[in-house]
Amino acid sequence: MLPPTITKNYIVGLIAIAGLLWACTGGGRKEAHLIEYWSSNNGGEIQFSKWAVERWKQQHPGKPVKYQPVPEGQSSEEIIMAAVVAGTTPDIYSNLWQGLVEFYSRSGVLVALDTLNGFMEYIHERCDSATVAEITSSDGHIYQVPWKINPIMTIYNKQLLRQTGLDEMPAAYSDYLRAARSFRKDTDSDGYVDQWFGNTSVKLAWYQRLFNFYALYLAASGGMPLVKDGRANFNNEHAVEVFRFLQELYRENYFSKQVESAGQDLFIAGRFASKWTGPWEIEYLEKFKRPGFEYDFAPMPVPDGHQGPVFTYCDPKNIVVFNTCKNPQAAFDFIRSMTDPEADLHFLRTTRQLPRRKDLDNWPGFKDFFAGNPQMSAFARQARYVRGADNSEALIEVFDIISQEYEACVLYQTKTPERAVADAERAVNVLLRSKE
Amino acid sequence: MKIQVNKGGKKGRGLAPYIILSPYLLHLLLFVLFPIVFSVVLAFHKWNIISPMEYVGLDNIQRLFQDRLFWKSVLNTLKFLIVHIPLQIVIALALAYFLNEKILMRGFFRATFFLPVVISGVVVTMVWQQLYGLETGLLNRALIALHLPRVEWLSNPYMAMISIAVMATWKNVGLYVILFLTGLQTVPRSYYEAAEVEGASAWQQFRYITLPAINPTLFMVAVLSTIGGFSLFIEPYIMTDGGPLNSTLSAMLYIYKQAFGYYQMGYSATLGLFFALLIMSVVAVQKLVIEKES
Repeated sequence: MLPPTITKNYIVGLIAIAGLLWACTGGGRKEAHLIEYWSSNNGGEIQFSKWAVERWKQQHPGKPVKYQPVPEGQSSEEIIMAAVVAGTTPDIYSNLWQGLVEFYSRSGVLVALDTLNGFMEYIHERCDSATVAEITSSDGHIYQVPWKINPIMTIYNKQLLRQTGLDEMPAAYSDYLRAARSFRKDTDSDGYVDQWFGNTSVKLAWYQRLFNFYALYLAASGGMPLVKDGRANFNNEHAVEVFRFLQELYRENYFSKQVESAGQDLFIAGRFASKWTGPWEIEYLEKFKRPGFEYDFAPMPVPDGHQGPVFTYCDPKNIVVFNTCKNPQAAFDFIRSMTDPEADLHFLRTTRQLPRRKDLDNWPGFKDFFAGNPQMSAFARQARYVRGADNSEALIEVFDIISQEYEACVLYQTKTPERAVADAERAVNVLLRSKE
Repeated sequence: MKIQVNKGGKKGRGLAPYIILSPYLLHLLLFVLFPIVFSVVLAFHKWNIISPMEYVGLDNIQRLFQDRLFWKSVLNTLKFLIVHIPLQIVIALALAYFLNEKILMRGFFRATFFLPVVISGVVVTMVWQQLYGLETGLLNRALIALHLPRVEWLSNPYMAMISIAVMATWKNVGLYVILFLTGLQTVPRSYYEAAEVEGASAWQQFRYITLPAINPTLFMVAVLSTIGGFSLFIEPYIMTDGGPLNSTLSAMLYIYKQAFGYYQMGYSATLGLFFALLIMSVVAVQKLVIEKES
């Protein structure tokens, strides 16, 4: 229960954070020529950001940059929102989820970067045309620099997969389901399955759908958007096939419905043969895996007869400049410096996250890194075929609606895939009309 | 500070009482009165915190009556209350009755039953989430070891709210035990002695002496647990996020999602005000019923 009310606590918290941010930034006073930069607060990114700022200072002694990680809070999104409310946003923030950019840009708190000198040349040099189109807002401006991605792929336990007679993860749904059927087992004969082919979150939270439904939908559809021209764009055979595939995984008990286990990692324990995850899993597994534990990565499964490349969701975090910035051009100059090839390579080495740069695996400096890190190279190859998030200010609500239908259709089988997708489309269109 | 108090009354006290009261008044003004007034203003606006407010008249109220998910969340909250309040009152009263007797290690038991109250709700919820786990949860492992069928504690739409109510009762019952214990200790021993002489049974003593005597406590416990129950949030937020199939979506969780998930401050303020009126109405009815009973 809520003691005494979460609303009160949240508002008090927001005011407290806003006040703290206001005080920490000198009560809103800032030197006009000073650029303030916030990064995410994970260790690798702090290390990289310090390096990037030091390098900038050496190269541009007359253009100071003040760096700090985003202040601690329940989430970085909450801190950024509090900073926006208090008017104490940094000039540059480098960890904004792409799906939130439209919300902030429509609220007028971001600088349109395409209005700055040299930005369009820079962005076309860094990104392919599909990425540029993806980050262009509905008003035609660009408010973000694509920075880092973590593509979602299938990780699998090679020894367990061999139990199904396969050496590689099956790509097509029917092969995948066949392997899942032969792998599912009740090993202790207690009447309940305790060995599953895979696992993905069954939690209802909207963002969980990014890592299962959305990644599979992009794979099935060749990277089609969920929302297009202010309308739902997903009532199609691809979404229906994805729902049907997932529904069968749960109906036949090929995937576990276990929420989470505090006692042990069930993938490392060998209870799941696979799961859908990003490159962050590599560092974790190398730290905690048992001796002899073999794993590899494969693209997301696709419907039978799928043609063309297999896309996936890439969990993009981008760089933005807030409108509290007094010198956006100088801010952009720093961004350009911290995303040049040398900086991107340093970022990759320090954080084990991929810079969002075209032909990532073909850059000379990067080739050496991937040769020495074959697990990461699978993600680099996948990075050619990724999508981020659609430009919709109501994207969180769109995913919430999909999550409701996902639960009803996939987890509880109370709806057919066709009905669930149609209901989601209807609800999303009502929502998007209300935002017009 | 010297405070002058005249026999005649208010004159002569000066500013001192106001200065002493000012911290509380400031808190009241900033965190109670202002939010209430601001919520009323918000109810007629559309606002996402960072853009300017947009006046929408009665749109939010109209939307409230058409919002099926909100009504489902209200119904879910009422279902929770139906399980939680009687369970909490009965268990708390029984435990208080037991702890009012001269039993061995009484102090230890009193402290133990109160312990869950002082543990963070988030911690309790996360521990119970592990207990309720479908495949690796301790409760199901125990059931399977006893050759009994396992239970979908949190993944069955009919079971999930009951599981949450049981956990919430375990967490909060200690507080009400203390309240009932205080109430029981105010009943003079001589009443029971007289009743025993008259040949009253234990049940008759409880029904005609204890219950009327602790009626004010009973009312307070009923009101507190009703208001607490209406505020159901942490448990479904952490354990189920309102699922499965929205069966544990409480009204507070829904209001929270509207406000801080979708930044629909105007609509969530409307829902909040409506829900506050609902709580006040229920408490008023409770008061009438208990007063009539006594």
